[in-house]
Amino acid sequence: MATISDTVGTRVRHHDAIDKVTGGRGYPVNVNLAGMLHGRMLRSPYAHARIVRMDIDEAKTLPGVRAILTPDDVPQVKYSPIYFMPTEGLACIQDMTLMGRTVRHVGQPVAAVAADTMEIAEQAAQLIDVEYEELPAVLTVEDAMADGAPAIHDYTSGNVAVDETFETGDPDAGFAAADHVFEQTYETQRINVCALEPHVCVADVDAYGNVTIHSSMQHLFGLREKLAFVLGLPVSKVKVVKPPYIGGGFGGKLDITPIEPLSALLSMETHRPVRMALSRAEEFVTSNKCPIRIRLKTGVKSDGTITVREASSLLDAGAYATHGSTVIMVHGLFGYCFTYKCPNRRWHGRSVHTNNVTSGGFRGYGGPQASFGVEQQIDEICEKLELDPVEFRIRNSHSEGEDHPFFDGTFTTYRFHECLRKGAERIGWSDRTAPGSDPGPVKTGIGLGCAVTWTSNCTAQPDLYEHSGAFIKLNPDGSADIASAAIDIGCGQNTIFCQIVAAELGIPVEMVRMSSADTSNVPFDAPMHASRGTNAVGATVKAAAADAREQLFRVAGTMLDASPDDLDAKDGRVFVKGAEIVSVSIAEVAARADSPLVTMTRQGPQPDATPYRGTIIGSAAMNPAVSPIPAGAMFVQVAVNTDTGEVRVLRAVYAHDIGRVINPAGAEGQVEGGLQQGIGYTLMEHTQFDPETGACLSGDFLDYKMPTAFEMPAEIECIFIESDDPNGPFGAKSLSECCLIAPPGAIANAIYNATGARVRDLPITPEKVLRALGRL
Amino acid sequence: MKQKVTITVNGEPTEIWAAPHETLLETLRNDMHLVGAKQGCDTGGCGCCTVLIDGQSRYSCMTYTVTLDGRDVTSVEGLADNGELDAVQQAFVDTGAVQCGYCTCGMIMAAKHLLSVNPKPTDREIRKGLSGNLCRCTGYHKIVEAVRVASGQQEAS
Repeated sequence: MATISDTVGTRVRHHDAIDKVTGGRGYPVNVNLAGMLHGRMLRSPYAHARIVRMDIDEAKTLPGVRAILTPDDVPQVKYSPIYFMPTEGLACIQDMTLMGRTVRHVGQPVAAVAADTMEIAEQAAQLIDVEYEELPAVLTVEDAMADGAPAIHDYTSGNVAVDETFETGDPDAGFAAADHVFEQTYETQRINVCALEPHVCVADVDAYGNVTIHSSMQHLFGLREKLAFVLGLPVSKVKVVKPPYIGGGFGGKLDITPIEPLSALLSMETHRPVRMALSRAEEFVTSNKCPIRIRLKTGVKSDGTITVREASSLLDAGAYATHGSTVIMVHGLFGYCFTYKCPNRRWHGRSVHTNNVTSGGFRGYGGPQASFGVEQQIDEICEKLELDPVEFRIRNSHSEGEDHPFFDGTFTTYRFHECLRKGAERIGWSDRTAPGSDPGPVKTGIGLGCAVTWTSNCTAQPDLYEHSGAFIKLNPDGSADIASAAIDIGCGQNTIFCQIVAAELGIPVEMVRMSSADTSNVPFDAPMHASRGTNAVGATVKAAAADAREQLFRVAGTMLDASPDDLDAKDGRVFVKGAEIVSVSIAEVAARADSPLVTMTRQGPQPDATPYRGTIIGSAAMNPAVSPIPAGAMFVQVAVNTDTGEVRVLRAVYAHDIGRVINPAGAEGQVEGGLQQGIGYTLMEHTQFDPETGACLSGDFLDYKMPTAFEMPAEIECIFIESDDPNGPFGAKSLSECCLIAPPGAIANAIYNATGARVRDLPITPEKVLRALGRL
Repeated sequence: MKQKVTITVNGEPTEIWAAPHETLLETLRNDMHLVGAKQGCDTGGCGCCTVLIDGQSRYSCMTYTVTLDGRDVTSVEGLADNGELDAVQQAFVDTGAVQCGYCTCGMIMAAKHLLSVNPKPTDREIRKGLSGNLCRCTGYHKIVEAVRVASGQQEAS
């Protein structure tokens, strides 16, 4: 692993690790304000209904109840909750109301209570009497699109929220030119984000009507804008406090939930801080990945060249459009344009309302759903045409230096082919045997899946926030503080930013800290999402540090009697290039800039000649130059018990091109964690709902199974094929989402290689394996 | 009606008045302001609230405080000695086993229990021993490594 400086490229320990192993006080879940009340929601038991009457009299009389909100008490403004787009962005479907009088899924909030304790609030919520008029509900995409289906919203036709197509080249000519055409349907399920810290917030409204809010979320300014919009306040009346860290995001905390505005309204009513937290059961009706069914049709030449790809994707958005309306678009791009070249494409994507829970964002944002189909179909093609799946992928993918097919510019650094070759070598690809070769009932197999993303940073996407801002301040002891709205959601972002700033300023990484912030004192930053932390925020903190460095050299120049242009810095000292002995410590320079007008010396107080007075600070507010293009190839080995249908992942080799690695331990953590989510998505997890009522059937971790340490393979090999991307901070690109895009296809292909069983719908449960083997 | 119990918490005998249905997790977090044990599910499914009761790892969300009279409770706050980290805590830091960290305190307590009954666990034993604790960030890879390091079976990388 290359080391650029003492800090970038090294396994720097996470800055907050000691805090987290000794108690972790910084999570929003721990915020506890004096006089704080506790809020609970009452939720609808019906999938589709109109509230006819509500009676809160009995609930109100319960001792300890301080306020109750019903739909009559809350603004009925329609909004889109997604943080990464302004509410009035063109692409935003505004179909959600804080607490409307029509409920569209089981679990939609209909009332909220604030009380002295959580227990009283819960009791009071149960005492609220609601009379509903039940409406016909549709719980499948087919039923929702059928003629005469009940309309869930009045703005759609046939309940279709988004209906988009794109076409490049001439798909009909592509099919005419193909020697073989393959067509299959792939189906992906709803899974839950399962961030271990549930959604939680504390809202505190002061005597002037200013709202201060703490929340476990991925975007400070998104929450400010949405909360102000829902409450009808100017943004300056809302202050969102940045948590030191949150207990996981993964895309599940990219939108305002009812708890933030409800807590604020309850706080306005009671003049006390109000805390609301979701229970785990509530999480299961809040943050779920979009289920998508994909019909995929690909034309190829006998030599393995793709001539055309046609796909149609049907997404169950659930009750409200929100992420379902944007995931479908990213899914279209991710799935059918990124990884493989294809001269002719046609795609049709629809996002459809049902009376299921609202579909949300989750790492990969439509990518894993697409790759499950694309990566499997490639193997199906290769088997029929007797082609090697690694060579097929290399033949049909982009190369470094090529023009980008959709955006301006080129593939500046792109080592995808090396990822494939290196990964194949490490897993032992050349020793791969034909399906079902192992003699006993337990059969092993190797599979491959790939992930390429072009959407990190969301650069140049209409209506999407992409910009960042940061301040850097030097302290008289030679340390530096970063102030930024970018939130550490668990990937070690704060550590990476500190590494970047340390490298830029030439100080030890221990001397850099992420300081506290809120929306009133730091510049805007886009959400911590879309794999953008290291690349986009990293570039911004680097630019801010470079700005501070310029000021540092200006002051140091007066102390060293040198031109700032002749200076450099490392190990906490500023020195004259070529004459390192002529140097001064950064602490002395920062102290000089911050000092009063005389300087203490051994000879006593001396007049200070420094012409530059004032704290050394740097700032930057900017767009990322481009969206980086990370790529990955994942190889897994599985064992399938053909008597029971059980699948175990034995080993994973994941080769990535992410540009320069800033923190190898952090990057490995992304890959290893992505595999946990990938194994869960592919083999185990499924948020299930009663097909008759729409009620959640898997509302806790006893009924919803995700991988524990026991289900994970002991061997996970992370390979990073490094390069210096000219657009990234110290050459770094991006990573996180790749890690969850490749596993579904890779594992499904490995199951096939082991047994000859092809399963095209997730999760691949033992029952489905046995059915595919003809044994059930 | 609240009942009085005396529980030794992190070495200190403590008188606690608790309602019959109050869980140890609530007592620790709300009454004693020991927030290391986290609330993740309240149904004994995630392990974020794991503490040691008489040296055994237990979900504090599934334990009623009033049942603990005379018992000994250790939470993660009881591990570090005068600011010096316990070997398991140190291994979690050194191996990069901490990402979002929400599971970490519970995971460390589960590992403490495991190592107290099995000082040199195999990889499989470690995975089995931690299987009552969920993590969504790390894939458990570096957590397992941390336990190996803490048990002296491996050097931190």
